[in-house]
Amino acid sequence: MNANEYQGSFLGRISIRRNQVVVMDAIHEQELEDIELFQKHVSDRFSELSSPSDDDAVLSISWLCKLLDVFLCCEAEFEAILLMDRDPYQLSKPPFDRLIPELLDRAVKALDICNAVTNGVESVRHCQKLAEIAISALDQKPIGDGEVKRAKRALSTLMAAINLDDKDGTNAKSTERSWSFGRRSGNKDRVAGQFRSLSWQVAKNWSAAKQIQSTIYNLVAPRGAEASGLPSPIYTMNVIMIFVMWALVAAIPCQERTGLPTHFPVPKQLNWAHSLIGLQEKIADEWKKKEKKGMAGLLDEMQRMEKSAQSLIDFTDSFQFPGDAEKLQEAAGHVAELTEICRIMEQGLTPLQMHIREVFHRIVRSRTEFLDVLEKASLPVI
Amino acid sequence: MDGCQSTEGDLHVVAAAHHIVKALGATKNLTDDLRKILIDLDTHLSMITSNTDSGGGRGFVDVEEQLKQAERKILSWESDPTMIWDSGPREASEYLEAVYEIQTLVDGLRRLSVHENRKQKELLHRATSVLQTAMSRLEEELIHVLVQHRQLFEPKHMSSRSTRRVVVYDDSFVSVDDEPAKETSSRNCPSDEIGEYIVDLVRADVIPDIKSIAKVMFTSNYGPEFCEAFIGVRKEALEQYSAILETEELGIEDVLKMEWTSMSSKMNKWTWSMKIIVQVYLASEKRLCDLVLGDFGSVSSFCFLEISKATILCLLNFGEAIAMGPHQPEKLLRLLDMYETLADLLRDIDTLFSEEASSFVRLQFHVLLERFGVSSIAAFEAFQVAISSNGSLYPFPGGGVHPLNKYVMNYISMLPEYCNTLNLLLKDQHVDVADQVTDPDNGPNLSLSTSCPMSCHLRSITSSLESNLYRKSQLYKDEALQHIFLMNNIHYLVQKVKGSELRLFFGDEWIRKHNGKFQQHANNYERATWSSVICFLKDDNPGSSPVLKSTFKEQCRGFSIAFEEVYKTQTSWCIPDPQLREDLRISTSLKVVLAYRTFLGRNPAHIEDKCVKHTVEHVEKQLLDLFEGSPRSLRNSRRW
Repeated sequence: MNANEYQGSFLGRISIRRNQVVVMDAIHEQELEDIELFQKHVSDRFSELSSPSDDDAVLSISWLCKLLDVFLCCEAEFEAILLMDRDPYQLSKPPFDRLIPELLDRAVKALDICNAVTNGVESVRHCQKLAEIAISALDQKPIGDGEVKRAKRALSTLMAAINLDDKDGTNAKSTERSWSFGRRSGNKDRVAGQFRSLSWQVAKNWSAAKQIQSTIYNLVAPRGAEASGLPSPIYTMNVIMIFVMWALVAAIPCQERTGLPTHFPVPKQLNWAHSLIGLQEKIADEWKKKEKKGMAGLLDEMQRMEKSAQSLIDFTDSFQFPGDAEKLQEAAGHVAELTEICRIMEQGLTPLQMHIREVFHRIVRSRTEFLDVLEKASLPVI
Repeated sequence: MDGCQSTEGDLHVVAAAHHIVKALGATKNLTDDLRKILIDLDTHLSMITSNTDSGGGRGFVDVEEQLKQAERKILSWESDPTMIWDSGPREASEYLEAVYEIQTLVDGLRRLSVHENRKQKELLHRATSVLQTAMSRLEEELIHVLVQHRQLFEPKHMSSRSTRRVVVYDDSFVSVDDEPAKETSSRNCPSDEIGEYIVDLVRADVIPDIKSIAKVMFTSNYGPEFCEAFIGVRKEALEQYSAILETEELGIEDVLKMEWTSMSSKMNKWTWSMKIIVQVYLASEKRLCDLVLGDFGSVSSFCFLEISKATILCLLNFGEAIAMGPHQPEKLLRLLDMYETLADLLRDIDTLFSEEASSFVRLQFHVLLERFGVSSIAAFEAFQVAISSNGSLYPFPGGGVHPLNKYVMNYISMLPEYCNTLNLLLKDQHVDVADQVTDPDNGPNLSLSTSCPMSCHLRSITSSLESNLYRKSQLYKDEALQHIFLMNNIHYLVQKVKGSELRLFFGDEWIRKHNGKFQQHANNYERATWSSVICFLKDDNPGSSPVLKSTFKEQCRGFSIAFEEVYKTQTSWCIPDPQLREDLRISTSLKVVLAYRTFLGRNPAHIEDKCVKHTVEHVEKQLLDLFEGSPRSLRNSRRW
């Protein structure tokens, strides 16, 4: 084995050390190959995600589906490396007696995030319904005060939902909701949509941001000898899982996202992590930009919807029958854009939820597998 | 019709028709539909008789007049502080009539919109504006009616239907070596079918009002707004109800971290809430949706799904979290409860969520049911493992019934309740059946036979328990105590089986065999203890001359010492079961007292001797002190 052959590669760094090892462990070598292959696949997949086509802007619905697919692929490979033909006892020794439980803890947190995000998709769906009302109003020819009022009402609710301070989600579940809403005070613009209480289906104190933060906690890249063995793919899988959850939370509205961490402690020199880190930084930048004003998430379609909706609200505000031809044309354009977005949502939101559900089930299953293996390893001799 | 010149004759026909329509329109008791048709016709006829001049003609004057009237009606309410539907049915129906008028006008005007008619466009614009105002108002009215007339039924009221409560062992398995805590809490029996029990979630007499609002909104293509408002109100009502039932929203992480007592009560609550929410609340909600929206095709089931989704998924999520948890044996009963609850509800769920769009709900239920099954089996197996691996360092003082025994037997005596479920789940599970019994008495009910899966597993459990108890008995140095211990414990085992439904699963032969076992231990005890004592009283030379005094003295002394020793030791031993205690005393007494009496009787000359420490009666009496559980020692008393 010529050390020069692998100069500069991951394998190259350890081959020098390996020459010092007297006994060549064939199995160990196979394992190293598998690990390397795994990390190459990770790198490739994230590289692909980084250069999306027009249809798949980063953080669009279809991109998120792709991201979730990447997760599933990586997870499957990871599980194979860790568990196939593995002596259970090996996984109960240090450092795995710490690494595996940590991984499983993160997995549980990921499950709660999956639930929160699935709920968040519901609120996106709600926005879609509101947008559709506006569209059906403004599609009428000719547009009159009636249609404009109708559209405005729907769009105002939509914007209110988008700009909902995440905290309000918890208050929406008050048992004593007053329904009088100043009915007779002439506030005709009270919109129906506010009646839709957004119950987040998670505990009141639960915070997506905190959850993400706690998954990042204690995430330390393996060093030294550990970096060349199983701890490495474990770390990789941790990072992937955290990234996927983080991206979902950034994209989709869910409870309490203020304070979402924007920095991941992933060392830049890890080969496989380049694309992932690139993506992460890009998304983090967007997040920081938009964080100040409340927003419903970085989901590409929601961003576009917000823009169009705002434009249309401006249009409705300044509308006077029979309407300015140029403005009408412009509005029609926005309506077309909104229609397209709704179409994408109509087609894509359910599959997205199904993807998330699949990830959920996979994490549950995988966790069970790991627990079974650990149990076997620790079974006392009676 | 558009654009064609009407001839004189045609105009007459139209005028006549118009006249008829107006006359008909004035009659009372017109249904909404008929009225609408007439208004429609009226408008059309008005337009036909209009001039084709631009700038509007006579026909449009009619239309404008109609518009004005309806507009007046609708706009007059805008400044009115009261709700229309609070002001009586006449007001409401008048309002609706006005809306229908506007709607028809809008429809009609739109159809004619091919003409670039300024007047017409103005009217259309005005009409749509009024329509929007009306729709907006109707939305608020709808919400008002729904909120004002909702009805919440008391969950306690429902629970009174489930009167049979079964006590459940709530202990964590780890507390076995301590005093077993009191049996606490209770559970709903799955056989307590609440059944589908429909209530009126909104007062029945306002349903027609809601329907009429629905109709007019849907006809005006404002269906989406109706649904938004309706779903919003109903969803909140359901959430309020969930809050009353105290169904919490817990994260999976929180559930996994929960300690047992808390988890146990939440599992219990879940079981109860699920039944009520699915069989009563959701069934009623579905009916409400059907009543209100049944005329609009799939809208009804869409609204129902939107209303119920979040709550149902929240409940399912808790179930998932429980199923994911560690498989502790103490969870078994609760898991079985949850399993059975879900199994019972499957049919209801399949009915409530029967559409394609809601198939994911059904799917999740089925998946969760499976998971509960897997978890139950795992908990059951953990139970068995825990029994086998429950080790003791020190012998159990007094030789009484070991807490492990009590825990296990009390626990499994609850299992016959779940016999059907357990048989289903354990069907394919392998079991080492140590105690193969062939019960000839296999009645027609196979599930109660002693060879059903549950029976096999139960016998395997008691077999493990016995092995464990045997190992524990080996910790005693005193062989006699070993036997007392085993006698006590196997007796307890048998009593528990005989005294509960377990006897149906263990069968008579098993009971017979184990009766024999503890009896055997009783015999062994006697032999171990008393043989050596009675040995002193033996007559080496039967039939020969009376024994020497010295020999007699020795024998007497030996017997006394041995007896006192036994007394000292064995009064602190314990036989908890009074009947067993009595039986053993009697049996012992017969042997010992008889031997002693015979011994004394053989040597009448020496009875007066002071070496005879105890009378026969005395011995008899002392024997009654044995196995009381508190140590005593004999004072020498010369009682004659």
